[in-house]
Amino acid sequence: MRLELNHIRQQYGEEILFVIDQLQLNTTDAVHLHGPNGVGKSTLMKIMAGLQKPTSGEVRRIHSAEGNLHQQAVIYLHQNTYLFDMDARSNVEYGLRLRREKNSKKVDNALVWAGLEHLQHRQAHLLSGGERQRLALARALVLDPALVLLDEPTSNLDLESVERIEEMLQDLHRKGTGILLSCHQDNALTKLCNQHWLLAKGKLTVQA
Amino acid sequence: MSDLWATVSAAIAQLLSGDAELWGIVGVSFSVSASALLIALLPALTMGFVLAYFRFPGRWLAISILNSLLAVPTVVVGLVLYMLLSRAGPLGDLNLLFTRPAMIIGQILLCFPLLVAMSLSAFQAADHRVLETAKTLGANPRQAFVTLLFEVRFALLAAVVTAFGRIIAEVGSAMMVGGNILHHTRNITTAIALETGKGEFVQGVALGIVLLLLALVLNVSLGWMQSHSRVLRHGT
Repeated sequence: MRLELNHIRQQYGEEILFVIDQLQLNTTDAVHLHGPNGVGKSTLMKIMAGLQKPTSGEVRRIHSAEGNLHQQAVIYLHQNTYLFDMDARSNVEYGLRLRREKNSKKVDNALVWAGLEHLQHRQAHLLSGGERQRLALARALVLDPALVLLDEPTSNLDLESVERIEEMLQDLHRKGTGILLSCHQDNALTKLCNQHWLLAKGKLTVQA
Repeated sequence: MSDLWATVSAAIAQLLSGDAELWGIVGVSFSVSASALLIALLPALTMGFVLAYFRFPGRWLAISILNSLLAVPTVVVGLVLYMLLSRAGPLGDLNLLFTRPAMIIGQILLCFPLLVAMSLSAFQAADHRVLETAKTLGANPRQAFVTLLFEVRFALLAAVVTAFGRIIAEVGSAMMVGGNILHHTRNITTAIALETGKGEFVQGVALGIVLLLLALVLNVSLGWMQSHSRVLRHGT
């Protein structure tokens, strides 16, 4: 699947936040989006995920003929990820339940992948910051997402948690999921990216 | 003092004896209030959600009117409804005056603003990421709404408990549009008013005990829900 942005313009009142003429994100991409505070990185990611409508322009999801039909999800993860008021396992099952898909093996595998199988019956609000982030990734993984957009995934995490998230993202990318992550600092996560996008002064620059 | 104890003892004995007339009155109260609550609940929750999440012209006016309706005395609701339903009124042909449906309509009018106001507060206090997370994981608008209801369920249950407490204890509307007819529209509050007026306190005290116990149960439930809701919201 490919995400295509055409003539995107975002403004609040008279103030233009950003204008992006053309932009593409493929499942083979791993992109680091950076830029100063307040330039609209989160807004751009939400527009790409379909959670927010731009002032003008269009976002198109183009499905490739050979692609997995189920692999259509574009999942956005908040800076402070939101977990539903249920246990860890039920959080992972959430998206599958919406699809009326019962696949406990898939849920088991996702929990093992995130290293949370021993915490699967713990209420989500009792998990630590790193565990919450891993659970959010596991919740995304079970849906076989085409693209995962992560908003500041490592803020407030210790080094060990960052390394663990990096391993999970690398694995996710190997499995064919495109990744876009916004991050202020260069760290283990940004090193796995093969593209860097700079959003500044209302424009987006694609860097090699 | 001894008279008071004798009355209370007799009231408790009447309750425990399973007196058919007394428990019939309790039954009328519960069936009317539960019906009103069930009918009002979904439209009220929907309206609370719309007011919390959508911006449209007149929104603040709608919220102001709802807040004003919270303070309307039950007897005023009864009076307005009486004028509408009486034979000479615009809805007189429906022959609803002094029937249970009339009491239900009155209680709907009383609990609807309360349910909307409390659900509006609950939705406004909900984390804005709930809907976004639900949508990004594939929820359609209806599924996202159900998820939001689940996330704020304790605050909504508190709204339901408060609304039920308000309508089952109201007397003004029930008296005016129900007419206090035995086995038909006589409920706990109108029966207490009648028995007290006749100077026969035993049944009044027995029904009062039922209301007090109900108030106790509702308030303990409400306290538990509010504390549980806080724990969930702050994770402490």
